[in-house]
Amino acid sequence: MTTESKRVDDVVPNELPPQALPTTTYGPITATTHSEATMGERILDVRNFSVDYGWGNNAVRAVDDVDVHLDRSKVLGIAGESGSGKSTLVYAITRLLRAPGVIKGGEARFNLGSDDEGEHVIDLVNASERELRSVRWSSISIVLQSALSALNPVVRVGSQFEQVLKTHRKHMSKDERRARAAALLAMVGLDEDRLDRFPHELSGGQRQRIMIALALTLDPQLVIMDEPTTALDVVTQREIISELFELRAQFGFAMIFITHDLSLLTELADEIVVMYAGALVERATARELYEAPRHPYSLGLLNSFPPMHGERTELSGIPGSPPDLAHLPTGCRFHPRCPYAMERCTNETPPLVEIQGTDRSVACWLHVGDPAVAVPVELSRVATGATTVDPAKDVTR
Amino acid sequence: MRLIGRRLALYALTFWVAITVNFLLPHLMPGNPIQTMIGKLTGTVTPAEIRSIRLAFGGGLNQSLLSQYFTYIGQLLHGNLGFSFTNSKNVSSILVQYVPWTICLIGVATFISFLIGTVTGALLGWTRGSRLDSLIPTATFFQATPYFFLASVMLLFFASKLGWFPPQDGYNIYALNLHPGWTWEFVLSALRYGQLPLISIVLSSVAGWMLGMRNMMVTMVAEDFVLMSIAMGLPKRKVIWAAARNAVLPSIANLSLAIGLVVSGALLVELVFNYPGVGDLLLNAISSEDYPLIQGIFLVITLAVLAANLLADLVYLLLDPRTRTEVAP
Amino acid sequence: MKSLRFPRSPKVIVGMVILGFFIFLMIFGPYLAPYSPDNTNFAPLLTPSAHHWFGTTSLGQDIFSQTLVGARATMVVAGVAGLAATMLSILIGISAGYIGGFTDDGLSLMSNVFLALPGLPLLIVIDSYLPVNSRSNSLIIGLIISLTGWAWGARVLRAQTMSLRNRDFVESARIIGEKRMRIMFSEIAPNLLPILASSLLFTILYSIGAYVTLAYIGLTSTSVWNWGTMLFWAQSNNAPLSGEWYWFIPPGMCIALVGTSLALLNFGIDEFINPRLRAGGLSGRQRRRLGMPRRQRLGFTPVVRSVTTAPRVSVQTQNPVTP
Repeated sequence: MTTESKRVDDVVPNELPPQALPTTTYGPITATTHSEATMGERILDVRNFSVDYGWGNNAVRAVDDVDVHLDRSKVLGIAGESGSGKSTLVYAITRLLRAPGVIKGGEARFNLGSDDEGEHVIDLVNASERELRSVRWSSISIVLQSALSALNPVVRVGSQFEQVLKTHRKHMSKDERRARAAALLAMVGLDEDRLDRFPHELSGGQRQRIMIALALTLDPQLVIMDEPTTALDVVTQREIISELFELRAQFGFAMIFITHDLSLLTELADEIVVMYAGALVERATARELYEAPRHPYSLGLLNSFPPMHGERTELSGIPGSPPDLAHLPTGCRFHPRCPYAMERCTNETPPLVEIQGTDRSVACWLHVGDPAVAVPVELSRVATGATTVDPAKDVTR
Repeated sequence: MRLIGRRLALYALTFWVAITVNFLLPHLMPGNPIQTMIGKLTGTVTPAEIRSIRLAFGGGLNQSLLSQYFTYIGQLLHGNLGFSFTNSKNVSSILVQYVPWTICLIGVATFISFLIGTVTGALLGWTRGSRLDSLIPTATFFQATPYFFLASVMLLFFASKLGWFPPQDGYNIYALNLHPGWTWEFVLSALRYGQLPLISIVLSSVAGWMLGMRNMMVTMVAEDFVLMSIAMGLPKRKVIWAAARNAVLPSIANLSLAIGLVVSGALLVELVFNYPGVGDLLLNAISSEDYPLIQGIFLVITLAVLAANLLADLVYLLLDPRTRTEVAP
Repeated sequence: MKSLRFPRSPKVIVGMVILGFFIFLMIFGPYLAPYSPDNTNFAPLLTPSAHHWFGTTSLGQDIFSQTLVGARATMVVAGVAGLAATMLSILIGISAGYIGGFTDDGLSLMSNVFLALPGLPLLIVIDSYLPVNSRSNSLIIGLIISLTGWAWGARVLRAQTMSLRNRDFVESARIIGEKRMRIMFSEIAPNLLPILASSLLFTILYSIGAYVTLAYIGLTSTSVWNWGTMLFWAQSNNAPLSGEWYWFIPPGMCIALVGTSLALLNFGIDEFINPRLRAGGLSGRQRRRLGMPRRQRLGFTPVVRSVTTAPRVSVQTQNPVTP
């Protein structure tokens, strides 16, 4: 693939200029300007987001007061074990969370871009169904984990493209739609004849590529990947991920990458947030997290997966299992499994705090600057530009 | 295509079993019903007719069971189903007169019932927790009610008491100069008289389709591809259609079971309304022990049911592409 | 095996109550009947009154007594037939699913044939050839009914057995060296319990229908009182046409109610097997009180802000991390 900057729309030209806001599908978005400053380069702004499963007395908090932010064309990685709330958070933001999920608080704003009228921002939490449908797929698309269950088994693959294009690009003719679908498939390295197949006739890797092609059909600004490669073998995994990032380099969409494989994220993401039992426990850039984790859970996660490159390390894993969200431990959620737990951890929940002088946050009593607390060496490394760690140097990025 | 071949073979085998059962039963029953019957008839029917009846059971008494069996099959292949002494006609000619009524009634009823049932079921499955859910216990009740009971009740209220529909027969048999045939008056009369039986059958069978479809729809709505459709911003009706298209498959696959019940029920409804179909014929044959006629009706019903099954299998093959290729890489 | 929680669904409770009532009737009906059902001493075709709660037939028999007495034969025969059919389907279905190979092919073929054959016409043909004195033997009729009703259950059980066969716990039992029969009945069968229960209910439902239909056509002995026979007499005397609703509606309603209760119980089992079918949890009123939309709409996750929000600790700056 060439490296010149290209939009998906350039592949098969259509009337809409590349940066046009989605207006053709369901009418214009009512611009909701927030009292705070404009979003600028920020494409997704989520604050104080909380999600419950269930209602009344049976409610269980699955996502507790989480903030995430994503800038245009950047990659945000969300890591955590099953049940950490990572998928719940992202689906809830896009209002695709299934029953019995309920959003209990917070806000989520998505920046559609600016034009002559100003900045267009959609308030996802308060949007109507019509407004949501306007941004769905044209601005935000999703790649689900299992492509076999995500594609309608009784229709041909090409028909899925047809439906999306028919709904969102009404001016396209049948031939134009077919051509575009073929072009999209070519982008992910598949032949046009795959369009006439049924999902069960394709291999896992082919299906996942089709999911990616589908996700890019309308040239969205944000693509959400929900464990896109977990169901594949390792070799195919690598292929697909590298293709994915080539595409991203070409078209410049932002990405949210959800996975439990932290080592994958350290290579791919710009920023990583780590979630545990519904709470955000650490946020840092990928390099910082990989070289200098601060939260014991992050450290444990890193030690659970063999790194793709570099020397072999001993795997340690994290003893125990994630807590039942209905019966969370007192104090810090992680303390029963934490090798560094102190007495304070049992009683008080540590807040998420910014580490001074950096752009990273962590929720751990080890890092609140209490002189009486000795921070373990492995949690006080310093990230540098080089791959080797030199504690004597200042933190530089 | 291989699949169709296998189904065809199965139905052929089933039909053969039906024929054999038909043959063996009267020969195996204690008290030799054939002898008794022929003994009773001697004197009231011509010898030629007696011979015809005998042939329907496989020939003379002095032959072995096996040779009687082959004679029987031979007769069947020639279309000779025997002689009905209660009607003084060949069974085949009687059936030709009555079978079209039954097939029309059941065919139209099943079609309407399937349509209403699956559409309602799809909507019920999609809109869970709405007021429509109160339909479910009602539907269950209708499903549990025997066809003929519901027909009797409808006859009582809508025909006898309220007089909205004609209570009996397939067309106005009392009208002068009105004979079966493709005349406009006849068709109108037949349609008018067929309403109540049709409504009765539809009401009894619709619940089954509806509940089955609802259950499948609920399962489908929880599937990932439905969420994908919503995430893709497709309009709601397209999402429902995608889910329903998948949910309807088991209903078609289970058609064999449903058809059996509908046919049995419809025969009894014909009884209640004195509809000139096979049902009434069967009852009279039973009470007068007209065995050739009973056998003939059984074979024809079996053939019709098997044909319907084959049709359903074909439709299923068309609708579910997963059955066509056996390969999953 | 999953623990069996007592079902709280109203459908199931209603079903159990109705069925319980009729089982009571089955046992005590004949004793509770005020008159003998054959007694023709009363005036014919009386409408319901204090003396005859359901009126009288054209022969002057008390319909109420007939209904009470008829409960026993109807339900016992249906129950026995259903049980026999289920046992047949267990035997054939599980064997076919577990043993596989030619046994499976043969048994599956047999079930498919029986499934394709229209049950009731076959039943009618067989029954019509029965000598008249055999027809009064309800047991024989019950057995014949079960011969036509086992195929569906067998197919379902076979499918389930096949999926269970490959599970780990069965594998380990086989490796240990347990006998085939023992595995089938002590390992696999317990996991099939919900499906078995559903199958049993379904076959009993079918059997009631079959028995009543046979009686309605007149293929069972009229000396044994059951609801179907009552309907037979009512139809023979053209009760629907003549407006004698009290003659055929009571037995018909009883059949319908028993059938409905079985179907409702079946619902309960279905919801147990497939938790997705369970009702959404809250009623419309409860949802409105909680501030949620009336129905959960797919693709439109509801937003219900909690009244109190935990005070969030604002961003703090901390001392630099010391190595």
